Amino acid sequence: MSKGVQSVISDSNVVTSHPVMAEPFGNALIELAQTNDKIVGLSADLAKYTDIHIFRDAFPDRFYNVGMSEQLMMCAAAGLAKEGFIPYATTYATFAARRCYDFISQAVCEHKLNVKIIGGLPGLQSGYGPSHQATDDLAILGAMPDLTIIDPCDAVETMQATKLIAEYDRPVYMRLLRGNRVPLVLDKYDYTFEIGKAKLLKEGSDALAISCGEMTMRCLDAAEELEEQGIHVAVLHVPTIKPFNRETVLSEIARVNGPVFTAENHTEYGGLGSLVAAAVAQEKMQADLKKIALPDRYLEAGTLGFLQDLYGISTKTVKEAFTAALR
Amino acid sequence: MIDNTEIKKLTDKAYEARRNVLRMAYIDRRGFIAQALGAADFLTGLFFHAMKYRPDDPEWEDRDRFLLSAGHNAIAVYAVMAAAGMIPEEWMDTYGQDGSHLPMASMPKYTPGIEISGGSIGLGLPIGVGMALGLKRKGSDSKVFIMMGDGEMAEGPTWEAAMSAGNYHLDNIIGLVDVNGIQADGLTRSVMVTEPLDEKFRAFGFDVQRINGNSMSEVVTALDNALGSKENKPHIIICDTVPGTGLDFLIGNPKAHFISLDDEGWKRAFSELKKGEE
Repeated sequence: MSKGVQSVISDSNVVTSHPVMAEPFGNALIELAQTNDKIVGLSADLAKYTDIHIFRDAFPDRFYNVGMSEQLMMCAAAGLAKEGFIPYATTYATFAARRCYDFISQAVCEHKLNVKIIGGLPGLQSGYGPSHQATDDLAILGAMPDLTIIDPCDAVETMQATKLIAEYDRPVYMRLLRGNRVPLVLDKYDYTFEIGKAKLLKEGSDALAISCGEMTMRCLDAAEELEEQGIHVAVLHVPTIKPFNRETVLSEIARVNGPVFTAENHTEYGGLGSLVAAAVAQEKMQADLKKIALPDRYLEAGTLGFLQDLYGISTKTVKEAFTAALR
Repeated sequence: MIDNTEIKKLTDKAYEARRNVLRMAYIDRRGFIAQALGAADFLTGLFFHAMKYRPDDPEWEDRDRFLLSAGHNAIAVYAVMAAAGMIPEEWMDTYGQDGSHLPMASMPKYTPGIEISGGSIGLGLPIGVGMALGLKRKGSDSKVFIMMGDGEMAEGPTWEAAMSAGNYHLDNIIGLVDVNGIQADGLTRSVMVTEPLDEKFRAFGFDVQRINGNSMSEVVTALDNALGSKENKPHIIICDTVPGTGLDFLIGNPKAHFISLDDEGWKRAFSELKKGEE
């Protein structure tokens, strides 16, 4: 599949109505590395599946494939950062979060090292079964001090974040949207990614959706469709899960007269919905909170479209959730 | 050729390091004493013969890097660092106490010159691989010395790192495995057989030496061999050590991993401590 913008089915088997772009992370990393010679790349036998293969091909002597050794990769990234480099280490989000926890904690975060961990297939993005479904990465890694956690919405934000985090001298975990057909969504909104900032993408007086990652795209799509029926849902995008932009979230909740949805491609435990609920409770605010998230269980294998509908995170089911609450 | 004056000088330094171990352990009357005494000789060889560093400038770019992977043996490293003037001697009298610069497990945040946190076992060789790659990228000829333990050899990432070190021909890594034969739950051979370490490292692409880690002459020869080697391989020096070396009454103590001594024991320790083998 050639690089560029095209409107076809997405990398998985899910139809997107948005234009798409190939390998936004890999392309942004290449652009970054052209002006910053400290950038190096690592992968644990998943270069081709995390879009870093195009960086590898552009800068072969700045790339290390350490084989299927994720724990070693996190430590080697720490060692490279100690020597002044800015390593981007890619693997699947399940392996980064579950397998590498101690290594990210003790080798990287305790020393606030400038390591960028890029997790492919975050949340439910694979029909391969629980081994590849990182439904718990935000909850797991959210407990780690000094780790910044970013969940970009689309290709635009992925490119912006990939470049911005290089200058941000501390550990970052970024969820990766990868493949030939990553949707382009946020270019239609007046939006620029900033670390730690939640931003209102769409105004609406009937309800508020607070979302992260690709769920922002689905909330926007559902909300735009509902506009035609005279239903106005505001969408607040929270791409940085940690540090959590509590003030903006609370002030937007205070403005809305209606239900407040949280939407995340992640288990209902310990992600965005939990952060919002805790903030609301601590402020003793009144809010009609409704959580759109994956259930607290190991998910089924299957086709992605089927699973997204089954677990209520597709655009269709998000729209149904909005409609049901506003009826 | 072995320089006998150098060996004698190093043996004296190792004795000073052993006295420092006792000075620190005496504060709580207990600690990782036996391992520290066993490690004193090769650590002295490292800090007083092999490594390039500036005691007053722990961040000096051209220094050799020293990573304590088996972080529980921090006391042994502090003892040698104090002897080398890298940390003030009086810090030793606060070892393991609240607010001290010398916590029981070594961490960079507390102690200048400590490069990594070693409390979670098995991180040294993996981080060392990254540092060695980074040093090569920078064109630096600094070495990465990594001190590991034999119990630590049961940690999987050590072998992920060994595979990488061999794969990338990281000849700027010089690892030392302190085979003291003891770990938290007892004798290493009764907990998990980690031997034969020499054959294992050789199979992973290392240049391997195995020595009596309590013989200063063997330590110095092995370090010189590794530093002078033209082999395009990472180096490992397996140091067979005897926990408690220098204090005969501790040798063979089955509870040697973490020793408590009574007043009488401490009196004996300070009066009976002797120099190691040249």
